[in-house]
Amino acid sequence: MTRPREVLWAALRRRPAVLAKIAAWSVLEVTPAFLIGHAVARAIEDGFAAGRLLTGLAWLALLGGAWLVAAVAARQVILGVAALAEPFRDDLLHHVVRGLLHEATASFRAPPPGGAALTRATLQVELARDAFAALVTVLRGFVFTLVSAALGLLTLVPALALPVLVPFALGTALFLASLPALIRAQRAHLEADEATGAELTTVAGALRDLTACGAEQSAGDRLGALVEAQAATAARLARLTALRTTALTVGGWLPVLLVLAWTPALLAQGVAIATVVGALAYVTQSLAPALGGLVEGVGVSGVRLLAALGRILAGTPAAIPPPPAARPADVTLTLRQVTFAYGPQAEPVLDRLDLEVADGEHLAITGPSGAGKSTLAALLAGALRPDAGQVLIGGLPADRVDPAARLLIPQEAYVFRGTVLENLAYPGEASEHEAEAAVAELGLAELVARCGGYQGLLDPAALSAGERQLLALTRALLSPARLIVLDEATCHLDPVAEARAEEALARRPGTLVVIAHRAASARRARRVLTLGDGAPRDRRFAREELIP
Amino acid sequence: MADRLVRQAVRDGGPWPALLATGTILATAAQLALPALIGSLVDAFAAGRPPAGSALVVGAAVALAVLGESLAVWARGMSGARASARIRQALVRHVLGAGPALTRRLPPGEIVTRAGLNAEELGRAPEAVVSALSLLVPTAGAIVALALIHPLLALALLGGVGLIVLVLRAFARVSGVLSGAYQEAQGEIAARLADALAGARTIAAARSGDRETRRILQPLPRLRAHGLALWRAGASAGVRAGLMVPLVEVAVLVAAGFLLASGRLTVGEVYAAARYAVLGAALSGALGFAGQLARARAAAARVEALLAVPAVPYGTASLPAPARGTLTFRGVRAAGLEIPALTLPGGSLTAVVGRSGAGKSLVAALAGRLADPDEGQVLLDGTPLPELSRAELRRAVGYAFERPVLVGASVAAAIELGGGRAEPAARAARADAFVRRLPHGYGTPLAQAPMSGGERQRLGLARAFAHAERLLILDDATSSLDSATEALVNEALTGELGGRTRLVVTHRPDVAARADLVVWLDGGRVRRLGPHRELWHDPGYRAAFDEEPR
Repeated sequence: MTRPREVLWAALRRRPAVLAKIAAWSVLEVTPAFLIGHAVARAIEDGFAAGRLLTGLAWLALLGGAWLVAAVAARQVILGVAALAEPFRDDLLHHVVRGLLHEATASFRAPPPGGAALTRATLQVELARDAFAALVTVLRGFVFTLVSAALGLLTLVPALALPVLVPFALGTALFLASLPALIRAQRAHLEADEATGAELTTVAGALRDLTACGAEQSAGDRLGALVEAQAATAARLARLTALRTTALTVGGWLPVLLVLAWTPALLAQGVAIATVVGALAYVTQSLAPALGGLVEGVGVSGVRLLAALGRILAGTPAAIPPPPAARPADVTLTLRQVTFAYGPQAEPVLDRLDLEVADGEHLAITGPSGAGKSTLAALLAGALRPDAGQVLIGGLPADRVDPAARLLIPQEAYVFRGTVLENLAYPGEASEHEAEAAVAELGLAELVARCGGYQGLLDPAALSAGERQLLALTRALLSPARLIVLDEATCHLDPVAEARAEEALARRPGTLVVIAHRAASARRARRVLTLGDGAPRDRRFAREELIP
Repeated sequence: MADRLVRQAVRDGGPWPALLATGTILATAAQLALPALIGSLVDAFAAGRPPAGSALVVGAAVALAVLGESLAVWARGMSGARASARIRQALVRHVLGAGPALTRRLPPGEIVTRAGLNAEELGRAPEAVVSALSLLVPTAGAIVALALIHPLLALALLGGVGLIVLVLRAFARVSGVLSGAYQEAQGEIAARLADALAGARTIAAARSGDRETRRILQPLPRLRAHGLALWRAGASAGVRAGLMVPLVEVAVLVAAGFLLASGRLTVGEVYAAARYAVLGAALSGALGFAGQLARARAAAARVEALLAVPAVPYGTASLPAPARGTLTFRGVRAAGLEIPALTLPGGSLTAVVGRSGAGKSLVAALAGRLADPDEGQVLLDGTPLPELSRAELRRAVGYAFERPVLVGASVAAAIELGGGRAEPAARAARADAFVRRLPHGYGTPLAQAPMSGGERQRLGLARAFAHAERLLILDDATSSLDSATEALVNEALTGELGGRTRLVVTHRPDVAARADLVVWLDGGRVRRLGPHRELWHDPGYRAAFDEEPR
């Protein structure tokens, strides 16, 4: 798991030029925070109160000018922060997508990750991005304002530095101490949010089934309860935030009261009243807003950011380099005493299976569902590893074989948003010319035309299950892989189309392993392996037996 | 419509938007009073008079400001939580009420985004509206306070505030369009991710995870461009508003300076005037809320699309007592399908056959009211389906699908979704044996039950068998079963489940051969009607099937 802190630092460190730019503009942005007390004190004391109108005006003009510059600087700061926040959002999306894909591909037979996926992909990433931007803006603003206002105060009336800065620091410390509880509440809220999102995804995907079962009410109640639970965590969060606000507004106002309490003593020492007004300006116009911003920024955005990052990164796999892949000389399949179970307590699906398939053979695997056909396909594809025994392709362990040497087409065809050609060539590359023959052979031309040709964009939602499968089979026909494994890859095709596809694939050079969906599939193969209760039966057909 | 939803969201916040307004007003009232109070205290010090009670008043005002602020923060969180929850509850009920008709319009991922993220954004509408309104109070209050000190000061402030209002209005317009484009790009990435997750096995076998990641994130540059455009719009409006504040403050200070020089103001009053100028310019704070409101409105438009699909109304009627299960189509027309008259006698087994696209699944959907016809009626035991209550209809009719989506905490719960008992139904669907091999048998959580397409189909069948009392509709529901298992399921269909009317969409002649009646569909019309052995002489009929063993 990647640590939130590392991701944050990476986002900040990656663009030092942007950081420098933000810092430089920040100095300009907080000039008024330094100037305000001096300008007000001088304008009144040396200017207007002394009857020197021009001096007063000059001080105010200086302050106004500083503000003009600050406004321009503020815009640059926002753009600088955006230049950090947008790549940061991109990083997070990378993490989310990689994590979910990893989760989905690691467990070959488990259902793919559901709703938490989309919740994470959208809401949390957006939350994190906004929170990150707010946090950078606020923390930076707080530090720069604090320094410049403290400098201003020290240069204007050093005697007030302690009564102002001590309660101010106390307030800040108090606030930081309350952070852990807040982080916990925020995290609980995010978890509730994910639970709701997951259930919502289930419901949205099962609308037809829920309606058919008349289960709308119970599904609505369950989801409703989750929504309420989520609202409850939001309420707890709101209470904690309010309590913290109470503590901190006290911290913001206390220095004002202390300055007023000190005033008689200062006046007695000969400090002008205008100087006190200037000092008050530092507290009320620079320090208090900065602290308010910090409370709002860190207390809301920072906590939100940490919690969201924790959730996002929890699902991210550590980057493990894939085992070195080697290209086997041929694709002879050798299975020796292969045993596989889906869990330590489950009965093995495959028990000491032995099998030898020569390069170029056409093997069909049949048997009732649950007999281990798909498991065998996954083992051949190297997507699963046997608990005991060996699965070898051309003498290499199946999971070490170059993916380009073999292609698995599962029951649910993968079709993605991309051009038709990209979909056909997946996972390799192919030219339109190369694709044409395969498309014609499997009768996909009409679909290609409907999508606007090979460069047309394909919308997966617009394809029927049968069309998806046909597309995936065309992919197999186009592929340079010498080993093709079809795992019920024709179940949504009508038998005519299925026969056409299987025959075309059998004609191409290399080995074809078909998990047979229909008896006809098995009859097309030269060899049939039947899995099921008892020992597997391995039957070879003579050539003439193939022709009915 | 979108604005109506935003208003509804404010009402859904319950008492909290009002408390938010109260807290904000209390806090701003205290903040409005404080400059004047502190100013007079400063003047009292300057004049060497002891401050007496006014120090206490300042303390009380500070306390009020603190409490008001805390209340506002609390109420802001609560109103967002309440409104989001209310909107989600309503959306959830509506989505469930609209049912499969909604999935035909929007992909599930879109429904999730709209009922999830967009509902949350809409839920922040009360906060945005109330806070924006509450920001008007300090502005108005500060102008009054300045006018009380001296009318000239108020005039200086008013000019600046007018300009800020103009900037805000321009921002709200641009931002709405930009957020829409940003959300579209987000939706695109989510949809691509959903595609890849569905194709996880292909990706795992091809080890193309890294490439798929890049593909999913292809719209990222577009997302970033829209994102940066939003930032720029925000920053530009910010800088314009940021310029107004100092202009207002300096203008007020200059005016106050002249008044001080001419002896018409005290130093304390100059201090107060400077504070009021800042408070009066607080309208610039509404910028953030304007952006949020723009987002809420864009979200409202997307949520609205969910509500546009009406919920399916149900009647209150019950079915007549002897459960026959006679299904009648009368003058039915729906989306290219026409069935003038068709009766499935109670207890009969009817097969629906035809090439892909002939309308088989639509017949199945109409038979159990997963879809309503544009014209005509479908009746069960003489009662038109829309007149039946939801519970009565679903108790009578069960559906099994080609790709069932299983819902429930455990395997048993998934089978019992529509009622009935899991085990006998699972036995009839020949699912009992494999369920028992799962780690916790019937109690195995679905997420921990790896299942093949065939196993899934059998649980789907069991679910239908468990609750359908009169009519069973199997829409290609045995397509992923191996021949041996399918034969066993068919045995159950004609044997132990034989008392119910069965409507079976199929590609297989052996299934059609077992049916009492075959409905042969071709291009949305009933081409012929009759027993399989009669139709079999028609070469066109045979062509509608496959080359399965006969």
